[in-house]
Amino acid sequence: MNFNKFFELAASRGIEESQLLISKSNSLSISLFRHEIENFSVNDSQSVSAAGIVNGKFGSSTTQKLDKDTFGFLVDKILLTASLNEKEETADIFKGSEKYHKKTVYNPALAETKAEDKLALIKSIEDKTYAADPRVCEVEVSYAERESASEFYNSYGLKLKQKSNYFYISVYAILREGEVTKNNYAIVLDKDLSAVDVDALVKEAVEGAAKKFGADSLLSKKYPTVICRDVMASLVNYFLSSAIADQVQRHSSMLEGKLGQKIASSKLTIEEKPLEKNVFFSYFDGEGVARTNKAVVKNGVLKTYFYNRETAKKDGVESTGNGSWGGGSIDTDFGNVFVKPGKQSFDELIADIDDGVYITDVAGLGTGMNEISGDFSCQAEGFRIVNGKLAEPLTLITLSGNLLKMLKDLKGFANDAKMTVQSISVASAYIKSMNIGGK
Amino acid sequence: MISKSLAQKVLNVALSTGGDYAELYVEETTAESYMLENGRVESAGAPQTYGCGLRILNGFRSVYGYTSDLSPKSLLSLAEKLSASYSDPRKFTVEKIVSPRVKQNINIKDHIRDVPTETKLDYLKEIAGIIKDVDPRIVRVQTGLSSSYRQTEIYNAEGPVGNHFNNVQERARVFMIAIAAGQDGIETAFSGPGCSDGWSYFTEKIDYRKLAREAGEKAVMMLTAKECPSGRYTVVITNGWGGVLFHEACGHPLEASATSKGLSVFSDSIGKQIASSCVSAWDDGTIANEWGSDNIDSEGVPTQKNELIRDGICVGFMVDRFNGRRLGMKPNGTARRQSYRYCPTSRMSNTYIAAGKDDPEQIIKDTPLGIYVANFGGGSVDPSTGEFNFSASEAYIIRDGKICEPVKGCTLIGTGQEVLMQIDRVGNDLALGQGNCGAASGSIPVNVGQPTIRLKEITVGGRGGKLE
Repeated sequence: MNFNKFFELAASRGIEESQLLISKSNSLSISLFRHEIENFSVNDSQSVSAAGIVNGKFGSSTTQKLDKDTFGFLVDKILLTASLNEKEETADIFKGSEKYHKKTVYNPALAETKAEDKLALIKSIEDKTYAADPRVCEVEVSYAERESASEFYNSYGLKLKQKSNYFYISVYAILREGEVTKNNYAIVLDKDLSAVDVDALVKEAVEGAAKKFGADSLLSKKYPTVICRDVMASLVNYFLSSAIADQVQRHSSMLEGKLGQKIASSKLTIEEKPLEKNVFFSYFDGEGVARTNKAVVKNGVLKTYFYNRETAKKDGVESTGNGSWGGGSIDTDFGNVFVKPGKQSFDELIADIDDGVYITDVAGLGTGMNEISGDFSCQAEGFRIVNGKLAEPLTLITLSGNLLKMLKDLKGFANDAKMTVQSISVASAYIKSMNIGGK
Repeated sequence: MISKSLAQKVLNVALSTGGDYAELYVEETTAESYMLENGRVESAGAPQTYGCGLRILNGFRSVYGYTSDLSPKSLLSLAEKLSASYSDPRKFTVEKIVSPRVKQNINIKDHIRDVPTETKLDYLKEIAGIIKDVDPRIVRVQTGLSSSYRQTEIYNAEGPVGNHFNNVQERARVFMIAIAAGQDGIETAFSGPGCSDGWSYFTEKIDYRKLAREAGEKAVMMLTAKECPSGRYTVVITNGWGGVLFHEACGHPLEASATSKGLSVFSDSIGKQIASSCVSAWDDGTIANEWGSDNIDSEGVPTQKNELIRDGICVGFMVDRFNGRRLGMKPNGTARRQSYRYCPTSRMSNTYIAAGKDDPEQIIKDTPLGIYVANFGGGSVDPSTGEFNFSASEAYIIRDGKICEPVKGCTLIGTGQEVLMQIDRVGNDLALGQGNCGAASGSIPVNVGQPTIRLKEITVGGRGGKLE
């Protein structure tokens, strides 16, 4: 498609400035069940999103239908949605940053690896999972790979492109002992297939489930609590969502008025590093602004909110390169987050806890979290910590607290940080005391 | 969107390597959405979704692919790529395609897309004004409308005579969010009525002014609510949206996607008692113009009223074509998907516990100490263990048979097996409530539903210590 035709048509219809985002993606997924391929899927899709300014108002649309009418459709919808927009502030289209830090993260070797080799890899994972423990009764192994490319253009001649790919393997093991079933997931996300440690993945899935047998609840009270990396990543994600400037400006954030203040334990340092060269790398945001690395929390002090151009203008600052745009209104996002780990091993971290709880999984945080106040309550499972060591498994307990209070009560992190699928790298965290509900 | 002859060609390429069933799902959806902040339009959207999904089954194997390019070249290439995963001799060739008649459960007279935009915006502005006027502590009001007009064509074949179905789905939902701020924090309340119906649903069938006022009042009331106690208590759950309990704890584990592989706690439960004998339950995709209803499901099977539990005995599952094969059960119109980008699987539509005999007020009167859940935020379940959780967005303490002070931060946890047996009272006030359910085949509109019910004892999580 000749994209200049879009800009010509938009200008001729009275759209003062405009931008286009062309997204293409293709994906492959394979899942096994009882040694057979149960699902196999290949997909490709593309979409064109457009936005423009009419009388200072922002309008936008998106479509997957690419034909001779596409540009006409997009221009019509920009005019319509801009005419309905009642925001007081005027909007404009970004002309471009002075410098962009482009890096190549696309891994051609992944795309070139034959589907048979990918299948062989997950079959070996499935075999090893069944063999790992006689109690393994069902296994679901799946492989998913995604390649996406985006091109960003605007009426000022800005042209930006990025392309990335990654794969995702998940192993789900169900173990049965008599009438009792326990399960566990293990997941790996990367762009280099040779980096997959099959034995470690299988061990994580199966041992994780095996350790849950004999689980019980415990007495409701406050306990010193250690939270595993994946759960901690979810909690950090909620915390960072409230650092989105839009939420703050609408009085819907627990971080309103807290910029420059100590909001958490000095053990907490969080950086956003979009330019880190990994599968989450991104060098320009949804408005075409160059992305940059930055500290969000340093030694417990809140250093910045996440801004797009509109929210930055309101606060009289520069955009932090966190604009996101998928075709509708401009939003805010963040990713490639690094929470600074501690120096102690996990065993050292829990060594001084006489009677505590280690949380390995939570469910229902999505609805159990009040994102504005930070109060949360969810279902949890894990282990007791007795005399500095992990003890019996716990199930059907509840974990509740307040996010900010929890981060103030943070005693430290272990040195076991890992990058999670949520694009947050974090280590096991020790919280002085949290409410655990049980019997 | 594509011609019958092209569809026939694509199906035949798909079936060339021994597939025993092939299906094309072609979609074009136009949507509109408006989000208002404090009565002012902050964003308007008009996205278009367009593409096609192709599925080929061969025994217990399934391949699926999609593309947003509906040209013959693209569709035939997709069929070739997918069929390459099988290597059996062809079982049959599709020789003709017929168009069976389907009973229409959705009949709309006043289409939402025909209503002028200003009328819709005025409606949302009126709601915002009503919420704002409830109390000065309401600091922010969000209102919105999203509606979609989806045209689908399904072509499928499991023999020489293939089928073609045309279907139109029109759905709309209104959002009302009240945010109140007080000395001790911020609270929100939400209401989200939705339907597969016309504009009069929003203006006449529901009392939108009352819903708006209630949203405002609830947000303000929760500002002064105490923390919910934790422990094991008797819990009375409201009708309508309270049915999300059944949806999470029992509905998901009764989907064939879970039961067919022995992954569900209810896998071998047909004919067995899984609930207390006062419980009967249904999944009914045929209720006229309801949020979770449709004429046909997304693999071309007419929707049905499916009985799941009769007097405590499990009598049925939600069964899609693929998982039905392992179970030896016929598909019953419950295969659903968010869009062409998702392979369909068994899902709920309008799922509810049937009305019982008890007067809801009497149920409360007969409860000396417990918790009354008036609204849920939502929840989730692990079908293999049956463990579920859900969080109440509005709850009260019941003392001496009366609903007393409100509490916040209340989470109910347990297992589906346990909670179904714990139901000891079922009211006569069945109602439905609208939600969106997320699972393997995407996010789809569903109704949950139940009368007022009581659970003898269930684990409640909160930060308020023991209930006294």
